[in-house]
Amino acid sequence: MPTLTIDNQTVTVPDGTNVLEAAQQLGIVIPHFCYHEALGAVGSCRLCAMKFEQGPVKGIEMACMVQAQDGMVVSTVDAEAQELRAAVIEWLMLNHPHDCPVCDEGGECQLQDMTIAGGHGIRRYRGKKRTWINQDLGPFIEQEMNRCIQCYRCVRTYRDYCGGDDFGVMGSRNRVFFGRFKEGKLESPFSGNLADVCPTGVFTDKTCRFRSRSWDLQEAASICPHCSLGCSVIPGARYRELQRVRSGINRQTNGFFICDRGRFGYGHVNHPERPRTPKLQGADAAWPEALQLARRRLTDIAAKVGPEAIALLGSPRASLESLALLHDWAKQLGGARFCGDPQPGRDRAARQLTALLGSRARSLEDVRRSDCLLLVGSDPLNEAPLLGLAVRQAARRGARVIVIDPRPVELPCNFQRLSTGPEELPQRLEHLVSTTEPTDDLSTLRTLLHQAERPILCGGGDLLGEVGIRQLAAAADHFGTGLFVTLGGPNSYGAALLSGDGPDADQLCEEMLAGKIRALVCLENDPLADGPQRMARALGKLEFLLILDHAPNRLSRQADVFLPTTTVAEGSGTLVNNEGRMLSFSTVFNPGIPLGISSEGGHPPRSFSPTTAGGEPRPAWAVLAQLRGENQSPEMIRRKLEGRDSRFAGLSLLDPDGEGQRVRGGGHPAGSHDQSFPHPAPEGSLPLLVVEQLFGSEQLASLSPALDAVQPDPQVLLHPETAAARGLKEGDTIALHTELETFSLQLKLNAAMTPGLLLATRLRDTPLELFAPGSPTPCLVGKGGGDA
Amino acid sequence: MNDYPQILFKNRRPGETVFLDGFRQTGGYQGLEKAIRAMTPLEVRETVKRSGLRGRGGAGFSTGLKWSFFPADQPGDKYLVCNCDEMEPGTYKDRQLLMADPHQLIEGVILSAWALQVSEAYIFIRYAYEQEARNLERAIAEAKDAGYLGTDILDSGWSLRIHVHRSAGRYILGEETAQLNGIEGVRPNPRSKPPFPAVKGLWGRPTTVNNVETLADVPHIITGGAEWFKNLARNGDGAGTKLFGLSGHMERTECFELPVGIPLREVIFDVGGGIRGGREFKACLPGGASTPYLTREHLDVAMDFDTLEAVGSRFGTAGVTAFDNDTCMVAVTLNLIRFFARESCGWCTPCRDGLSFIQWLLEEIEAGRGNMEQIEMLKHQRRNITGRSFCALAEGAMGPLDGLLRLFEDELEDHVRKGRCPFQ
Amino acid sequence: MNELLPQPEHDHFRAKAAASEHPRELIIDLLRAIQEHHGWVPDEGVELTAEILGLSPLQVEEIATFYDKIFRRPVGRKVIHYCDSICCWATGGEQVAAHLQQKLGIGPGETTADGAFTLLPSCCLGACGDAPAMMIELKLYGRLTPEKIDAALEKEKD
Ligand SMILES: Cc1cc2nc3c(=O)[nH]c(=O)nc-3n(C[C@H](O)[C@H](O)[C@H](O)COP(=O)(O)O)c2cc1C
Ligand code: SF4
Ligand code: FES
Repeated sequence: MPTLTIDNQTVTVPDGTNVLEAAQQLGIVIPHFCYHEALGAVGSCRLCAMKFEQGPVKGIEMACMVQAQDGMVVSTVDAEAQELRAAVIEWLMLNHPHDCPVCDEGGECQLQDMTIAGGHGIRRYRGKKRTWINQDLGPFIEQEMNRCIQCYRCVRTYRDYCGGDDFGVMGSRNRVFFGRFKEGKLESPFSGNLADVCPTGVFTDKTCRFRSRSWDLQEAASICPHCSLGCSVIPGARYRELQRVRSGINRQTNGFFICDRGRFGYGHVNHPERPRTPKLQGADAAWPEALQLARRRLTDIAAKVGPEAIALLGSPRASLESLALLHDWAKQLGGARFCGDPQPGRDRAARQLTALLGSRARSLEDVRRSDCLLLVGSDPLNEAPLLGLAVRQAARRGARVIVIDPRPVELPCNFQRLSTGPEELPQRLEHLVSTTEPTDDLSTLRTLLHQAERPILCGGGDLLGEVGIRQLAAAADHFGTGLFVTLGGPNSYGAALLSGDGPDADQLCEEMLAGKIRALVCLENDPLADGPQRMARALGKLEFLLILDHAPNRLSRQADVFLPTTTVAEGSGTLVNNEGRMLSFSTVFNPGIPLGISSEGGHPPRSFSPTTAGGEPRPAWAVLAQLRGENQSPEMIRRKLEGRDSRFAGLSLLDPDGEGQRVRGGGHPAGSHDQSFPHPAPEGSLPLLVVEQLFGSEQLASLSPALDAVQPDPQVLLHPETAAARGLKEGDTIALHTELETFSLQLKLNAAMTPGLLLATRLRDTPLELFAPGSPTPCLVGKGGGDA
Repeated sequence: MNDYPQILFKNRRPGETVFLDGFRQTGGYQGLEKAIRAMTPLEVRETVKRSGLRGRGGAGFSTGLKWSFFPADQPGDKYLVCNCDEMEPGTYKDRQLLMADPHQLIEGVILSAWALQVSEAYIFIRYAYEQEARNLERAIAEAKDAGYLGTDILDSGWSLRIHVHRSAGRYILGEETAQLNGIEGVRPNPRSKPPFPAVKGLWGRPTTVNNVETLADVPHIITGGAEWFKNLARNGDGAGTKLFGLSGHMERTECFELPVGIPLREVIFDVGGGIRGGREFKACLPGGASTPYLTREHLDVAMDFDTLEAVGSRFGTAGVTAFDNDTCMVAVTLNLIRFFARESCGWCTPCRDGLSFIQWLLEEIEAGRGNMEQIEMLKHQRRNITGRSFCALAEGAMGPLDGLLRLFEDELEDHVRKGRCPFQ
Repeated sequence: MNELLPQPEHDHFRAKAAASEHPRELIIDLLRAIQEHHGWVPDEGVELTAEILGLSPLQVEEIATFYDKIFRRPVGRKVIHYCDSICCWATGGEQVAAHLQQKLGIGPGETTADGAFTLLPSCCLGACGDAPAMMIELKLYGRLTPEKIDAALEKEKD
């Protein structure tokens, strides 16, 4: 821990800190471009000059390239250092087009800031500027190369950090070009980070191009709702429209980056079909009327049949505050049925995890620092992309990565693949810890895990299921290490904690079919798509259906009462991520029909009213409080919850700009429940495994027009040998007959598939949407057939 | 012209290349045999250190000292890289050696590789030197057949492979860490030091990079002894002979092997035959494009590393380019800066953008559009680039600019005052 | 494919890449081989190199565009590199360039209408003692005079 003096202030920093970072710790901000906390120091921009006056290093040096050492005396205000910094800015500006008035980076441009901070003001160079022809890089990122200051951050992010190999630096001298070999879409699922790391306006977010000046955006710290990792994001809105999302910084979770689903999946908030008014059986209604009716029907049923006739079904995309109110309501009603997640498989996996995680919990930062990662039933780039990015960082530091999975999993780093059928995953894990035979294919893995200092076992909740998670935890204990398991949604963990050993949605369906449950309240879920397969039938038995949601919900017309809620960006609250970390988000903007829609893009608006058009959605917690006849604020809900349930201690003190806080205490596994009668698989059938895919599976992002261009075509994967044995070949249209549906898909062969398995992705608005991700279904394969 | 001792050039005949037979007839491979049969690698390294040999690639770092940092005893892959990029204007000496007597380098590489206990060596050669590359390939094949190369060399149990890596242009590849990237096939930007190549070089393994001439000197040091080599120099501080490539406005623009420490006057007027057409000597680059000018007042300076540094210049590669009195030093400097700006790798700001700024300033002044403030701007550029760039390329570009501003500021001012180049 | 690289060389590089611990080191050799055969390196040449070495085309392009002796645009049957560095400049390099341009009727970077020559300025060719100098393909011509240039062009014109 060296101690050094910078501008007459003394600071002690951890070993390995560079002097630029040490100065930052003192609050001294020195202009810099190429240094970035996540990317490290490369010393190319030569901007962070400081004068080293005493100690082991002498003279003007780049602070980012010098490790802090004892006895250093450093000046940042030294005249020579200042002159150099001004000179560097002058050089960087030689070719800059000065097109700030039309540049989307304006107002948040590091080049603007550093130009001022560097003390360069007057252009002395009057020669020619070099100019470039830009490339079309696809739907997400706009390129304007003339603004480039060659800090190399983009390639260091895209290629070094994120592992993309279709973007880089070409040319040399003062003609270096950052782009692709040929025009075309950037292939990395992390391409959007270019917009964040570029310190000037070379790479900007195409989806919000020319929509706003940055200072006109309403921004606030928020959490990404598109998977269970809870990445920190900063959405920006203007004119009642969510216009962009950029990455926030949380060193424990996402670090500095997010994936393209999180960045460009925001369109659901502005979706033209988003329900914005309460509805009674599909007809618009006023809030008081709708609330009153809902309240009355529920009280009636409770009084008539008993409170158990009411089921309250939460969702992993609902906030902890809303779920807590819903959960509490069940008790208040005298024992209504509560379940936090409509998808039983995911629900049970999440509950199992909450019961086991405890001190086994590891964060994404732990993953980045691990030296050996075993991924079981986990396909990070499709299920939780930032996990893939974290795995890459570990691999870059030398970690070994092993994947046990039936899918042709890909990762942005080298790894070893052991393919296994989906149903064998728990056995493989059992085998890993129980057998000691040195000859089996797991023996090297076993040795690696034993030898590693910081191994972590990662898993995917969908494929592991509750049994697999139990086995994974046992394996973690065997190797004396921790777990990182991804779940279905941004608040799966919170929902599971509240569900405890209560019923799962399967059981609710059964009770609905049996007529025991007469009323169902759905909080921010689509039970038809996400519930058990029997749900459609079960819904028909209900007397009363109440739905609260912000996404276009195919049941909203059928519901007796539909109440529109706000999205994450439009409210504040808390989500509990897959490692049990409570993360709070704050309100970015208030709901309303985007002006671009209400006035057909014209401005200023031509119609006036005392209320905001489309401003009716309310936060789900507020709607629930009103249904309960209470007046609550999120603060009150949080304080009550932590008072009542010590696992949530500290909830009310969470800072949206902070790193969040792990829950203190676990949950319960779901009660044992005899799963619906397993039909014997028909003769000649193959198991069909339906899984999540980066784009197209997650409900909210699939509603984002920005992602339309990258929606994959539905297809089914097979190992070439399996296909050959059945006389099938690449490109064939094959018919798939399952108990649930018959449909057809294009066949694609992949040698990394597990033989004998059919693999398809769960795409929204296709028949595949109805399959529970991760649990294989018997499927008969034939040639031809109608399209999916 | 004096009879200078010819060590490296003893086999040189116009238009001829000596291969194995000729080489062996004049004592070729005896240094290698002596080292392997009668010395330890450490003894070889110590002898080279005592000989006072300093790198012939331009920087003039003590070869023995550099080798002493090399973990010769560390097991695992280690590499020796021979730098034959030779792209600095005014430098063409290594080429002469490879055209005259390629086995000399091969022996030097084998002997040095043995001293450093590496078993894989690369000779990195510039694009333009195709004939030289072929000479090397032939010499390598011959050496292999003769048992000087390959496995179990001279029954020592030690083996060596030599690869010839042909480049495809760009001066920056001469910088040793950029060269390593070039061999690896990644973008040839220089690497940051530390870690030095001796610790992390090619593919992250210990590597040493040496110039062609440096390595060719090594066998002679082993046969002749450290003292003998040291005494070859004309002055007490220097050591050995040096290949001087003469160019520019001299009568004889050829490459000569001359003793280190020879005075500049002797080089230009005796060896070089004086300035062409009976003109007057105005200035020269003493050791390649990156070395500050010497003028008439320096004619009696001894040509070696320390002495030239003491007068504000550098010995560099001993490529002496002379200019007569009718030469515009602004134009000379502009030409040199253009070279450096064009050859910048584009990694760091002072070089990538600073040099083009200087180029523009000099273009303005040379064209008669300049003003006095721009002369101050040139000084501002020099101040802020010298010692501030990522590698020594931009630093080298400051050599001539520094010479211009120190020795020829009046010429700059004359351009501004007259509004044109006074030499046109 | 044969148009880019003769089959024996193609096979040679494939075998070498397969045997190499770090195939990337072959990138310049391979680009030069394609150039030698095809005259310059078209996009397909970059793609072929990438495919043989297990890289992305961009990774090859990053290298191909760095080196000035890899041509990513069509050139004439022979490339004339005339030196514009200091020693040649001091001994009449500008006149050499002017003579070449006038004689060939093209500017630097251009190709003659008959496709015989492309004219490119080059940094120091390592022929400073024989300045002014030029290189046609890999053959060096030094101590140039207008007459020598004319003779060289005559000889190299095939
Ligand atoms: C821009 C630049 C170009 C260089 N070019 C060469 C070169 O062509 N040949 C060479 O031997 N050294 C060159 N060097 C020096 C090398 O980096 C290195 O110091 C040298 O090869 C070490 O060998 P030596 O100690 O035997 O001189 C160059 C350095 C720089 C910064
Ligand atoms: S000084 Fe900088 S830009 Fe110039 S060659 Fe060296 S690293 Fe590259
Ligand atoms: S931040 Fe230190 S050199 Fe760029």
